Amino acid sequence: MSALGLNLNADTLLSMTSPSLAVAASTHNAKKIYGKDDSVVYALNDVSVDFYSGQFTAIMGPSGSGKSTLMHCIAGLDELTEGSAIIDGIDLSVMNDKALTELRREKIGFIFQSFNLVPTLTADENIRLPLLLGNKKGNEEWIQRVINTVHLQDRLSHRPSELSGGQQQRVAVARALASEPRIIFADEPTGNLDSTTGGEILSFMRMAVDELKQTIVMVTHDPVAASYADRIVFLADGKVAGEMLEPTAEKVLDRMKSLGN
Amino acid sequence: MFRIALKGILGRKARLVLTSLAVILGTAFLSGTSVFSATLNRTFDNLFSDVFKNVDAYVRSSQVIEADFGQEERQRIPVSLVDTIKAVPGVSDAAPDIQAFARIIGSDGKPIGADGNGPPTFGGIYTKFKGALWTIQEGKAPLSGTEVAIDEASAKKGKLTVGSTVKIVAQTGSREFTLVGIASYGDVRSPGGATFALFDPTTAQEFLAKPGFVDDILITGDGSLSDTALAAAVTKALPTEIKAETLTGAEITKETQDQIGSALSFFGILLGVFSYIALGVGCFVIYNVFSISAAQRQRENALLRAIGASKKQISRAMLIEATVIGIFGSLVGLVAGIGLSKALSALLRALSIDIPSGGLVVTTSAIQQTLIVGLLVTLASAWFPARRAGRVPPLAAMRETAVEQIASSKKRTVGGLLTVGAGVAVVAAVTTGADTKWLGIGILLVFIGTIVLGPVIARPVALFLGRPAARFRGVTGSMARQNSARNPKRTARTASPVLIGVALVTAVTALAASIKGQIDDVFTQQFKGDYAVSTNNRGFGGLSPSLALDISKLPQVDKATGIGLVTAKLDDKGQYITTISPDSINGVWNIGLVDAKYSDLSASNIFVSQKKAESKGLTEGSVMNITFADGTTRPLTVSGIYEHNEIGDYIISKSLIADTTVVNFDIGVYIVTKPGSDGATVRATLENAVKKYGQGELLSKRQYIDKQSGNVNQLLGLIYGLLFLSVIIAIVGIIITLLLSVFERQRELGLLRAVGMTRSQVRTTVRWESVITSLLGAVLGIVLGIGLGWVIVFALRDQGLSSFSLPVGSTIFIVFASFVVGVLAAIYPAWRATKVDILSALNTN
Ligand SMILES: Nc1ncnc2c1ncn2[C@@H]1O[C@H](COP(=O)(O)OP(=O)(O)OP(=O)(O)O)[C@@H](O)[C@H]1O
Ligand SMILES: [Mg+2]
Repeated sequence: MSALGLNLNADTLLSMTSPSLAVAASTHNAKKIYGKDDSVVYALNDVSVDFYSGQFTAIMGPSGSGKSTLMHCIAGLDELTEGSAIIDGIDLSVMNDKALTELRREKIGFIFQSFNLVPTLTADENIRLPLLLGNKKGNEEWIQRVINTVHLQDRLSHRPSELSGGQQQRVAVARALASEPRIIFADEPTGNLDSTTGGEILSFMRMAVDELKQTIVMVTHDPVAASYADRIVFLADGKVAGEMLEPTAEKVLDRMKSLGN
Repeated sequence: MFRIALKGILGRKARLVLTSLAVILGTAFLSGTSVFSATLNRTFDNLFSDVFKNVDAYVRSSQVIEADFGQEERQRIPVSLVDTIKAVPGVSDAAPDIQAFARIIGSDGKPIGADGNGPPTFGGIYTKFKGALWTIQEGKAPLSGTEVAIDEASAKKGKLTVGSTVKIVAQTGSREFTLVGIASYGDVRSPGGATFALFDPTTAQEFLAKPGFVDDILITGDGSLSDTALAAAVTKALPTEIKAETLTGAEITKETQDQIGSALSFFGILLGVFSYIALGVGCFVIYNVFSISAAQRQRENALLRAIGASKKQISRAMLIEATVIGIFGSLVGLVAGIGLSKALSALLRALSIDIPSGGLVVTTSAIQQTLIVGLLVTLASAWFPARRAGRVPPLAAMRETAVEQIASSKKRTVGGLLTVGAGVAVVAAVTTGADTKWLGIGILLVFIGTIVLGPVIARPVALFLGRPAARFRGVTGSMARQNSARNPKRTARTASPVLIGVALVTAVTALAASIKGQIDDVFTQQFKGDYAVSTNNRGFGGLSPSLALDISKLPQVDKATGIGLVTAKLDDKGQYITTISPDSINGVWNIGLVDAKYSDLSASNIFVSQKKAESKGLTEGSVMNITFADGTTRPLTVSGIYEHNEIGDYIISKSLIADTTVVNFDIGVYIVTKPGSDGATVRATLENAVKKYGQGELLSKRQYIDKQSGNVNQLLGLIYGLLFLSVIIAIVGIIITLLLSVFERQRELGLLRAVGMTRSQVRTTVRWESVITSLLGAVLGIVLGIGLGWVIVFALRDQGLSSFSLPVGSTIFIVFASFVVGVLAAIYPAWRATKVDILSALNTN
């Protein structure tokens, strides 16, 4: 077991240093400042970070450390006060609302903690929503594969109210994958689920990276969830506070303690 | 609980504004129309007391014939009475007065004054007299037979100034005068849109009336007698053979005020009816807003229930909120209504119907009515939502999202169907012979049933109507379709005002189309001529009888005949009677004489329509007594019965009028041209002939028939205008509901925006939801409206309306208009929807 782990570790290290490993998204000296004068809050304080293609990256840190803010700013849901956020080589700060919307639709997948689905649409329509909004057919073979991977074949015609919480999150995962995005962002995707169901969702995400060659960035509080990732980026007080490769739940827990969570 | 209720109100300003808006609009129309009517009444009252303020007594003929619609024909009195009256002790001065027909022709050759049943065009006397009704504002008084003064509004409209030559048409023909003065009536430029031409007494008599005769005499006293004593003294001095009566200044003022008052009260009632319809439509909107806000607060209320609030307390909190909104909304509505009535006056003024100036009259009863009705309506609309809010189970606090109950109960379906069924049965019973009285109840039942069924029908119909949107608009259209169907109760309540508005508009349109269709048929059948000369002065002045003679002598003309109207008493009941020339009308008008010919109508005969003959039991040979305005009575023998009563129910020969002193006008001249004569030259020749008289309009057969429908169009316009109030409220209802739905769906919108919905797609979704809702109301409204129209036409079958015409064009237009309404109503809510902040929408739990 440990030999395999070591092997993988070496592999990862090798690939990280190799110039062939592409950067899917990154920030450079990113700052996000809320309020002004006395009540000023540095939600992000000079964050420079790269997220690599084909990797499952987790972002961790104490509450209020800026995880969600970082994710929102890279994903084009929010604007940085200073610095730049880049996806697929494009600087988001120069884009207008329409271009950002199209970018989110075509290059980014989202999985939120809750309220992921449009209640009036069926599971199938929810999965295809970004494609439908872009008036695109998408790659049908790929979509079927995604649906099979998350085991939703027999739930496609149901509406969200007829699905369990876990099933709803699976639909959300499928939706994030359906348009073959450049990168997927997930903000505490298992936060509302029990550990078994949560584990299921995390395995699907893992599978999406391993088998479907996807790129995922996930914000989480949970060391067990983080242990599914290839790499963890730690944030504290709006700053990058280190990384961890090949994480395990125990290692993460120790590290979190030292960050004062 | 009161504190919680107040917090509830203030905590959600948007909801407060939106709920109040519905109350404000409803009450604004109510207060606006009642303030407007009261103001109109008061100002006319003031005008006449001002005008008659120096008149102490008033003499006129006591012989009068009253016809329908308050029209009356009073005999004239000899002007010589002026001298008799002046000699009466206690009289300081007396002056003759005339109110006759005179039409001023503008500098562009066009007659001044409104067409059709518009305000009258008067001719009168100007004298230097303390009690004079008129004051010269500019120039001088008319003194000779070539001088005239006119009212200020007519001068302005006809582009006439002091010194210009002006043509005036009166009973005796048309003449040119020099305009020497501009006059005002009291302080009004022209009273209620009427036009006035004023002459010196002698000219007025011979040009407007008959030499030696005037309509009435105005008297001022020297102060030695009370008005009553003065009137008595005058009466005593009048020769007994002249049938005349004396009124005091107060009496004539009151009588004139009452006459105007009763005309205005009809208008007031009409305004009132439509503002109550608008208020009823507003009820739906208020009810809808309260229902939605109750649903949106379900979790909050459930929480309150969980921590120990009673059902009653929850309901009461909501009713307190409704009370505050009701009072606030009605107060604002009252003020807005006062503004609205100002706008109405301004509108009338812009249409150059001059309303006497004067402050707005806001009666206490108008204030009370607005506030009480506004409050009651709000409370009534909030009652059921409040009850329902109380019944929320405490468990609902734990539920993920709180939505209104979607399940449409079986009870509703059954109840609705039964009500509609009962309504249809009643209508069916009436069509097969039951009393027409029941129709109203049947219609009401169908309406109520449809509205009860609304939530049940809304889902399938909205899904059906949304199909094209889903098909051609991709996922945005399909979401709009689902959104409009996701909460059928809400959609139905939003669509109901549209339904009511559209149903009424459709019914009225169908009725008008049927009437117009009928007019078209009838006139095409009966009028056999090629041209007609028609006047715009119904029952008051008209064409000189010599016009028909002139035209008949033209080489291109085969036949020309004039038809006129007189007011007379027939067996003691005043009415309009049609006058014809039996020798020239044959072959021009076919009135469907049964076993009789036109030549059977001599000066001692009368023709009666089949309808009247049946209802009065008249047959050929029956004798009727006719009394003319000159007081003469003579027996007439019925010598013909006719089928088509479009030109009137009684017809007499003009030769009978010629024997009397009754004024003889034609209201129309009807012409058959010789075959083979060239259209253009015929028209030019005829137009020339008509122009000589300065009165009347030459129309081709087609134009003439279309013009007959014109009155229907006018009425239709008025009713549309009044229904517009309801339509506005319906639109506001859609806007409010959409806004509330947008607020409610913040998270969903945030999510959609996050996964790539553009702003314009957000707008599209809201817009199509709005369009589907609006179309839902329109489609159901059209179905009901056509049914209603058919039923009304059926009910009027005894009034001669025989066939129902479906207004296809208008129906298509209504569908199109409701589409546009949907698009317009969505503008603001859609804009708000695009402003949803993605992050805060995603973060709110
Ligand atoms: N709209 C805002 N206005 C002001 N301050 C904000 C706003 N949004 C976030 N913040 C602040 O920015 C900091 C970072 O917030 P962020 O939501 O990114 O934290 P987080 O790491 O996601 O925390 P958690 O784990 O609790 O979700 C916090 O101190 C927060 O209070
Ligand atoms: Mg967070």
